[in-house]
Amino acid sequence: MSISLGEKLRIRAMVYTAGEPIPYFWPMRSFIHHNPLHGLEDLPFADAVEAGQRLFRARTFLTRRVYQDYLRDGSVDVDTLAAGVARFLADRPGAPGIDLQARLMALLTAPADAADGVPGGGLARGDAVHAALHGERPDAADAMPRVAGRLHAELSHGRPLYEAADSLYGTKIGQELDELVIKSCLDFFDEGQSVWGMPGREQGFFNAWRALARRDARLSLRGLHVKRLLSNDDCPEAVIVHVLEVLQIPEAQWVAYFTRELARLHGWAGFVRWRASAPQYAWGRLYPADLVDYLAVRLTLALALLSERGPKDLPRSVPALSAQIETRTGEMFLRHELYSGGVLPAMARRIEQALARGRDSAIRGVFDAYLPAKVADQASRQVQRLRQLTGDTAALRALSPAQLDDLLDTLDAFERHEGMLWLRAMEAAAITRLLENVSLAPVQARDKRPFVQALFCIDTRSERIRRHLEGVGDYQTYGIAGFFGVPVSFIELGKGSETHLCPVLLTPKNLVLEMTASVPTGEALTALEKVTHELKESVLTPFVTVEAIGLLFGFDMIGKTLAPRSYNRWRRQLRQGKPSTHLLLDKLSREQADSVVRAVQRAVIAKAIEHEFKLAPEHVTDDMVRALREAAMGHQPDNAASQLLPGLDRKAEQAFVERLRTEYRINPAFAQLQLERLGRIGFSLDEQTRFVSQALQSIGLTGDFSRFVLLVGHGSTSENNPFESALDCGACGGNHGLVSARVLAQMANKPQVRRRLATQGIAIADDVWFVPALHDTTTDDITLVDLELLPPSHLVYLDRLKTGLIAAARLCAQERVPTLTIDQQPLDAAAAYFGARRNAMDWSQVRPEWGLSRNAYFVIGRRALTEQFALDGRAFLHSYDYRVDSKLRLLDNILTGPLVVGQWINMEHYFSTTDNERFGSGSKVYHNVAGRFGVMTGNLGDLRTGLPAQTVLNKGEPFHQPMRLITLIEAPFEHARRAVEGVVAVKRLVRNGWIRMIVLDPETSLVHIFAAGEWHSQSKAGFGADEELKRIGAI
Amino acid sequence: MTPLIWLLAALFLPLFPLSMLFNALLARVTHVWLRGLLLLVWPQVGLALLATTSQPLPDLVLPWATLTAALYALRALAMRDLGGWSGFIATSSWALLWIALWAGRDHAVVALYALGFSLPLLLLAQLGACLERRFGAAYTGVYGGLAQSLPRFSAILVLVVLAVVATPLFPAFASMLGMTIAIVPGSPATAVGMLLVWLLWTWAGARLLQGLIVGTADAHGGGDLGRAATWSYSALLGALVVAGVVSIGWQL
Repeated sequence: MSISLGEKLRIRAMVYTAGEPIPYFWPMRSFIHHNPLHGLEDLPFADAVEAGQRLFRARTFLTRRVYQDYLRDGSVDVDTLAAGVARFLADRPGAPGIDLQARLMALLTAPADAADGVPGGGLARGDAVHAALHGERPDAADAMPRVAGRLHAELSHGRPLYEAADSLYGTKIGQELDELVIKSCLDFFDEGQSVWGMPGREQGFFNAWRALARRDARLSLRGLHVKRLLSNDDCPEAVIVHVLEVLQIPEAQWVAYFTRELARLHGWAGFVRWRASAPQYAWGRLYPADLVDYLAVRLTLALALLSERGPKDLPRSVPALSAQIETRTGEMFLRHELYSGGVLPAMARRIEQALARGRDSAIRGVFDAYLPAKVADQASRQVQRLRQLTGDTAALRALSPAQLDDLLDTLDAFERHEGMLWLRAMEAAAITRLLENVSLAPVQARDKRPFVQALFCIDTRSERIRRHLEGVGDYQTYGIAGFFGVPVSFIELGKGSETHLCPVLLTPKNLVLEMTASVPTGEALTALEKVTHELKESVLTPFVTVEAIGLLFGFDMIGKTLAPRSYNRWRRQLRQGKPSTHLLLDKLSREQADSVVRAVQRAVIAKAIEHEFKLAPEHVTDDMVRALREAAMGHQPDNAASQLLPGLDRKAEQAFVERLRTEYRINPAFAQLQLERLGRIGFSLDEQTRFVSQALQSIGLTGDFSRFVLLVGHGSTSENNPFESALDCGACGGNHGLVSARVLAQMANKPQVRRRLATQGIAIADDVWFVPALHDTTTDDITLVDLELLPPSHLVYLDRLKTGLIAAARLCAQERVPTLTIDQQPLDAAAAYFGARRNAMDWSQVRPEWGLSRNAYFVIGRRALTEQFALDGRAFLHSYDYRVDSKLRLLDNILTGPLVVGQWINMEHYFSTTDNERFGSGSKVYHNVAGRFGVMTGNLGDLRTGLPAQTVLNKGEPFHQPMRLITLIEAPFEHARRAVEGVVAVKRLVRNGWIRMIVLDPETSLVHIFAAGEWHSQSKAGFGADEELKRIGAI
Repeated sequence: MTPLIWLLAALFLPLFPLSMLFNALLARVTHVWLRGLLLLVWPQVGLALLATTSQPLPDLVLPWATLTAALYALRALAMRDLGGWSGFIATSSWALLWIALWAGRDHAVVALYALGFSLPLLLLAQLGACLERRFGAAYTGVYGGLAQSLPRFSAILVLVVLAVVATPLFPAFASMLGMTIAIVPGSPATAVGMLLVWLLWTWAGARLLQGLIVGTADAHGGGDLGRAATWSYSALLGALVVAGVVSIGWQL
């Protein structure tokens, strides 16, 4: 079957729409924090989490018990909670004799085992509960009409047909399908982990899979005949249409059906979706794939499994399923009870036997016995729930069946709503605490400049080290996004690919190269490593390798385990350190670019001559190379070089010149392409000035520069940790921030740039030196780099600077490391510092640091605002001075980039905590690297997309407190409001409640908070106690 | 007379289709001690009957016993009810006792083999009764996560199931070892069949545990085993291990 282009485009559009709620998954080499519900951000937060809960079958709030723990430790504002309950009850019917406000509050706050209810859709409603309360047996006849409706609701409505079949017949088609899809994905998307690659990958996912599946013995052995299915259709769109037509799914439901299919393995689907949208991704260009391919593969396998698995009467189309529910309601109900885990255990065997025998009369008999028992059981559970709510059976007995129905509806709705009440009450407590502690006191003028000014990333981990650095000496610190406002595409020394060092929202235009003058040494060790790798990776050698050199790995294991610090130090000594490098940062002139291209061409031609004519280098003369280049470029006739290549006739020489053009790409077109590429390298002087100016102005640092201005990027160090890049700098695209720091420092130290900055009012004295540095967030060390460029006049101060940095590192470790230990006892600075360094080198350490866990705040304002308030590493701190931003340009930039990235990080942590299995990635202990771009739990599973349990949970309990990002802007209200309303993405996040936005006006001392669709104001002093703000749910 | 004794013995050392009677009877007996008694005594009756005749068993008994054992081991794979599962494993293991008798093992020794199979089943019957009291049925896949909700009970259950499926150190392992050693010279093919049956028991045991132990805990699990009960079960399991080790040493 082939379909028209229009039809193909329609299917593609449907799949595109269906894929929107599926979050992107970036390869883990550069872990990108993201909101798992990013695709639902158009909805208000409460609606989005409900939709996400349904789609991903995940928890979006913590359990009541955990919130109660927070209540006990003061992290929840009980008044806000009570106000939330009152708001909830405002439009609900009351229950005579029951003070619902008090009872619901008691239900929320009194520790008790949760009653196992049957919220919504249960078979026992008011009548049955009324009977149970009065000691009577509920009448099952009332429940009978609800049975079919409940089955339709559970099994239809966009749910994949095989899921319905599984829950009716106990087949495991869904599980088998997922396994087959994962295997196919692992085969196709592999990025060098497998020794043997899947053939034909250049043709795209579906085509490569189709070619293989038609002769795949594994599928045949499983009894799956996909060949027949695939022979009818030649393109993925046609396959999708064919499958849905066979399953007879109404076209109106296709998009919802696709979404459900994609959500089953949302990690793989998210990876495919991201890959298709990333044209720069090398593997994606080599082996293309998109969600249409993925769905075509998945649906083909699903149809094959549905056709081959299960008994004859397994529903194999949607109408067949509906007909079974309508005509064999009792049997389907029993089947659903038995295979979906809802069966009353005492009757499970009887039901199973009746279904196995298949006699209608027996099934009817069991159903007639089971339904009353089920209704009675549910009624009894409902009574238990209501008792837990009211604490009083007498009051319940006085209610009529209709009133009981209302009460159950209220309770169902309340339990659905409860998470938001807790969340708001937690946020209220956090907001109040922040506002009580921030200071609007004016900054006192200094009589001399600080010893050091240090610019740190806004990352929450910088807050601690900044605080300690400020405490140990005359240090002034600033917060700025870790890419320092300079989007860079970077090619590292020895690497062939570009890395984007900026938030993923941006695409860098400028390329920076890392270069060195040193000659690499240590080939022996590299060769040894290569040999070991080859031995491990080939097909047969591992059998021998284990016997031959396995013992060596044993020593390695002992060293890493027993003395990780000393052993790793020793290993590093064996390895050649990275040589001193320079960044190629300045734009090349046309002449320079021409010269580079010519130099490259000459080097290629020289190598080509050596290679093809076996000439020693000393016999390849410059003239020979020049003549050949001119000939290849068409500047001279092809035979111009004939006298220079000894022993070659004219024809052979012409053939060689032609090869130079085609195989070695010495031709004008490629030279032009190279010139264009070289045009991307570096920044013009204007650009450099603009970036430096923007960075300094955005943090309000426009004068009184210190002798040292540290630009501190950050990164982490850990061993055996696929999630290492999750601990690096999010603003640098999941990479460490040192390169960005070096780039800005190099720009800012340039005299030409400083002269231009002076004309903009940013006067940087000649003795000011910008020093790049790296903050290792695992060890808290701050390492200064490019010190060889430091002016001699600064060397005398270097020792003092280093001493201060070490002191801050030790104090920071002392504050932080006890939270990583089992007993969480305080440590002295030396022990904590030692522990932190050990964590960085211990290959068995699953939690080298907490990363950004417990993040809660995003503060945009002067450092003085939070200087006296220890935020315990919970705040993103972005320095900002509204007085130098009359045009809102700087605030716009902060909101557009850093705040949005902060919100992604915040939501990643939020959902990874509420449901670590679905939104997070579970325990690291069971992780295996998949295809070199992701991890799976076990050897076969979905790609784990979120944060591991070790990042957000402590002993199984949440360590991160999931709250929406509380954002505080210090600026005049109108100034901040215009900025927030002006950035569409942020405006949407604020209006839909994904960010809690507060403006602190330093000129009026008023606090403005956005809630319930509008701004509300209150004085800073009276904010926490404002009853009206609590009543409307603002705090 | 001998064929009649054999027929009766095939009821007590169950061979298909007479094995159906035993399983039907076991399904009807709900009292835990009675079930235990049945599991303990039933094969011994069969062995006692066979001891009354000195006629050698016909060769036909080998494939018949092996197939019966394999059939019930296979059925145990799909059985979700713990009581039914115990019955199938009991049937499967007792059927193999015919093979030991055919191979010339002494009746007293075979009675010990039977005891090695029955004793862990007694403990399993007790644990099944515990589950029935707590959940209304001992049934896999209906309530999972016992490892979380009843950790002590789960640990004991795992060990008892390991004992039932003849894991090394337990007496059932000694029984299987002894029978396998006995049959290899006379009928190696039967020995292979026995080993396959053994493999199926292990698989069935893993599935049983997977349906009970793994997963999210049910909120209504009730209390875990008390300290005294845990120690008692542990002591009994320890005794089984000692008996098993002694038996294995004796076999070798």
